[in-house]
Amino acid sequence: MPRIRRAVEKIHKIDEEELIVLKKRVEIATIVIIVFIALLVARLWFLQIKNGEEYVKLSENNRIRIQQTQAPRGNILDRFGRVIITNRPYFNLLWTKEDAPNPDEVTKRLSQILNEDISNLLTSIREAAGQPRYMPILIKEDIDWKTLVYIENHHLELPGVRVEAVPSRDYLYGNMASHLIGYLGQISKTELEALKYNKYQGGDPIGKMGIEKIFENELRGEKGFRYLEVDVLGFEQQVLQHQDPMPGNDLQLTLDIDLQNTAEKAMEGIAGAAVAMDVNTGKLLAIASAPSLKLDEFIGGISTRVWQELLNDPLHTLVDKSVQGQYPPGSTYKIITALAGLSEKVINPQTTFYCNGGLHMYNRRYGCWKKSGHGAISLQRALSESCDVYFYQVGQKVGVDRLAAYAESLGLGKKTGIELEHEKPGLVPTSAWKKMKKNEKWQDGETLSVAIGQGFNLATPLQICRMTAAIVNGGKLYKPQIIEAIKDPDGSTMKKIEPKLLGKVNGSAQDREFIVRGLIDAVNTRHGTATSAKMENIIVGGKTGTAQVVRMAKFKSIPESQLPRKYKDHAWFTCFAPAEKPEIAVTVLVEHSGHGGSVAAPIAKQILEMYFKEKNGDAPTP
Amino acid sequence: MIRFDRRLLQHFDWIILIWLALIATMCLMNLYSAIYPDKPPGTPVYIKQLYYFIMGMGLVLAIISVDYRLFMAWNYPMYGLICLLLLYALIMGKTLSGAQRWINLGFFNLQPSEPAKLMLVITLASYYSRKDTGKGFTLMELAIPITLTLVPFLLILKQPDLGTALMLGFIFVSMTLFVKLKWQTLSILLGTCASLVPIAWKFILKPYQRQRIETFLNPEADPLKTGYHIMQSKIAVGSGLFSGKGYLEGTQGHLDFLPERHTDFAFSIWAEEFGFIGSSLFLFIYFFLILWGLNSAVSSRDKFGTLLSIGVVSLIFWQAFINLAMVMGMLPVVGMPLPLFSYGGSSLITTMAGIGILISVRMRRYQVPG
Repeated sequence: MPRIRRAVEKIHKIDEEELIVLKKRVEIATIVIIVFIALLVARLWFLQIKNGEEYVKLSENNRIRIQQTQAPRGNILDRFGRVIITNRPYFNLLWTKEDAPNPDEVTKRLSQILNEDISNLLTSIREAAGQPRYMPILIKEDIDWKTLVYIENHHLELPGVRVEAVPSRDYLYGNMASHLIGYLGQISKTELEALKYNKYQGGDPIGKMGIEKIFENELRGEKGFRYLEVDVLGFEQQVLQHQDPMPGNDLQLTLDIDLQNTAEKAMEGIAGAAVAMDVNTGKLLAIASAPSLKLDEFIGGISTRVWQELLNDPLHTLVDKSVQGQYPPGSTYKIITALAGLSEKVINPQTTFYCNGGLHMYNRRYGCWKKSGHGAISLQRALSESCDVYFYQVGQKVGVDRLAAYAESLGLGKKTGIELEHEKPGLVPTSAWKKMKKNEKWQDGETLSVAIGQGFNLATPLQICRMTAAIVNGGKLYKPQIIEAIKDPDGSTMKKIEPKLLGKVNGSAQDREFIVRGLIDAVNTRHGTATSAKMENIIVGGKTGTAQVVRMAKFKSIPESQLPRKYKDHAWFTCFAPAEKPEIAVTVLVEHSGHGGSVAAPIAKQILEMYFKEKNGDAPTP
Repeated sequence: MIRFDRRLLQHFDWIILIWLALIATMCLMNLYSAIYPDKPPGTPVYIKQLYYFIMGMGLVLAIISVDYRLFMAWNYPMYGLICLLLLYALIMGKTLSGAQRWINLGFFNLQPSEPAKLMLVITLASYYSRKDTGKGFTLMELAIPITLTLVPFLLILKQPDLGTALMLGFIFVSMTLFVKLKWQTLSILLGTCASLVPIAWKFILKPYQRQRIETFLNPEADPLKTGYHIMQSKIAVGSGLFSGKGYLEGTQGHLDFLPERHTDFAFSIWAEEFGFIGSSLFLFIYFFLILWGLNSAVSSRDKFGTLLSIGVVSLIFWQAFINLAMVMGMLPVVGMPLPLFSYGGSSLITTMAGIGILISVRMRRYQVPG
């Protein structure tokens, strides 16, 4: 390393005298440093000895607290601006435990006043361990008026206890759209850690489900704060600085309160889902899942007992069946089979098949639901009367993979992209899928089952509704839209959400037109399967469906009405109106209830009736 | 390259090592108290600081195993690298409380402005040791060292990190004064600085920095915003009285009144809990280490070693003095850690590297290169 050596040699060619001079200066540096140290010690003496007592007083008395004020959360409105959810003050009981000289005494008193088990109180106090000291703990939410007055009168006996008025959710329509809107809860420790850099604190409300959770950032607003000077007991001395809270933004939904209400009323006591969509935009006018959640059970934290009940609930109340429920689409799938048959030219609108109540193929018999058979039957009548044999034939000719392409172009087998949590994609089976999933070859017979919607296929009610819309709106597949606009607290629109076109349906307008005719007949001709949806002045088109739950032979002989509930089929009905210029598509699914025509269609009809009543001048209920 | 010499071990400076261990113990003890009794998620800071001490020890061993004169040969490439890192931090760096100071290394967030301080010490020592220091420098001769200081100074000022930038200035002034200036050079420099102050006030300082200085001059006017730190720190230190509130018994720090209590304001926790007597003892132990470092300057066989030692000592000393003066309300809040005592990996490791240099210079006091 010649370079280093050269450098080193250079250093040593120095004048020894110079080094001696430099070293003498080290003495000066030492003195300088000692002077500075003396300065620091003097300052220390000044602070701690000379003025120490004064600082002790300051440290004990002059405590500054930061008090936060919750911002009113944004309202949730329907498409006409009618308020669904707003805020009302809740009186919450807070306790700054460090302010109490004897915390156990206060805990005991509180348990008496609130008439609550002391162990419950201790749990919530323990929950709060780990948050900064002198941060009030939320003891109880929404205390009643009597308790409030009592506590205000006895506050000297309850050091550190304070009542705070907090804007909280007021559900003007009770549990309406509960799955969609969701609920608020106290922020959990894990959420708090994940959102560390946001302006959350222990005890803050945060959206836990649905719209409240997904649009938390819009709805939340900005908390206000006050810097308080407090004395040793935590009593306010003066406000040093404050900033008012900023209310959150309002969220205008595409929902129509009246349609939503009608749908939910019609489904009382049953399990299922109903979806109503504006066919020309993809906006959802109603999206309901029955039974609804009881939101008041969730406010202030759900109890373990209720939670267990919900988890074991045979009606699966927790599941939002409209987007999370996946069911075999049943005969509603015949719309796809028909479209595929026409587009792939394996049939034309005049093609007839003969139905004698079943079809013998691949060494077994595939039955039609009508055991006596439909006789010679055309496409239009086959859709109207839901002839299975006709669609076995079409399906067999098209083949499973071509069928799948049409199903996918109608939006099945993939999440719709709606901004709701845990949406399910459903399933569109193909031979490649079966190979991959089960490592088995596709059986020809399975194609027949798929063609009438009974095979491996799965779809959500939302998907079926959008499919119906796409058939009647000129083949346009929209993203289902739930938010109409975001409005600032003054009510002016900040952001308008535009409909989003996702794709175009395979097949020609003419092919779709033939299908629509069949669907109109299903509702409006004597032998149609959906005559119970027929309306007086408006022409409705629709398709019923029955999703088989079990196919075991031993149940074949038992009449549907005598089967145990969990083995009963699911009923589908999907429809649109008015037939000449469709505006709305409605899809209803009722779990374990038998045939679509008898159970699901009347519910859809009620929704349609409300829609047209509203449209024909009967002003929306304010 | 360099033969291992038994004398190296004989002349190893054990005292500095013992003193380092003593300060490390006080530091970890204090950090434990700083976060007590909260249990924030993740590894507690005192454990992380312990890791940094261990990493720093490794660096000390690495530094003393090579001849410090090597730094002179490698000076400019290292200087260039640090400037590039500063530039990188400025452009790509991670923002922490509004300043771009950090480079994420995956396991560690490096603050390149910390090693930059040490780099400047090495650079200036290397430059001055090549020059004749007998007659004192003229202004023209100072052009190069001023430029060498100004490049990292401006890069750091831009982050913005006023404290560290000022530190570079302090290093430059200390080392330059040490090698002696001509009187007229000194007076020109002083005059320029004095006239620069109002310009800096107006154009260079960020609004928050100006505000800090303003509130320092009148802290009671604004007790909640920027004056808050100084007020609360003074309350913490002052309320410690003669013997302190006792370990873990401090109230100011634990009530969350004290901001940045494990980093820049670590000493106020100590002062509150151990009082005047404990704080004086702390100052004694701490500054003994610094004064002991001057031994290296005296015992060095060459100018480079002497200047290097002086630079390292001035680096640690000025940071410590400014930090302590700030904590006790004698100076405005500038964001300056107390070396070896405040939490923070970059500062700790840089300081340990500096101490490694001091040990290395002292170890080689009898060694003549061969």
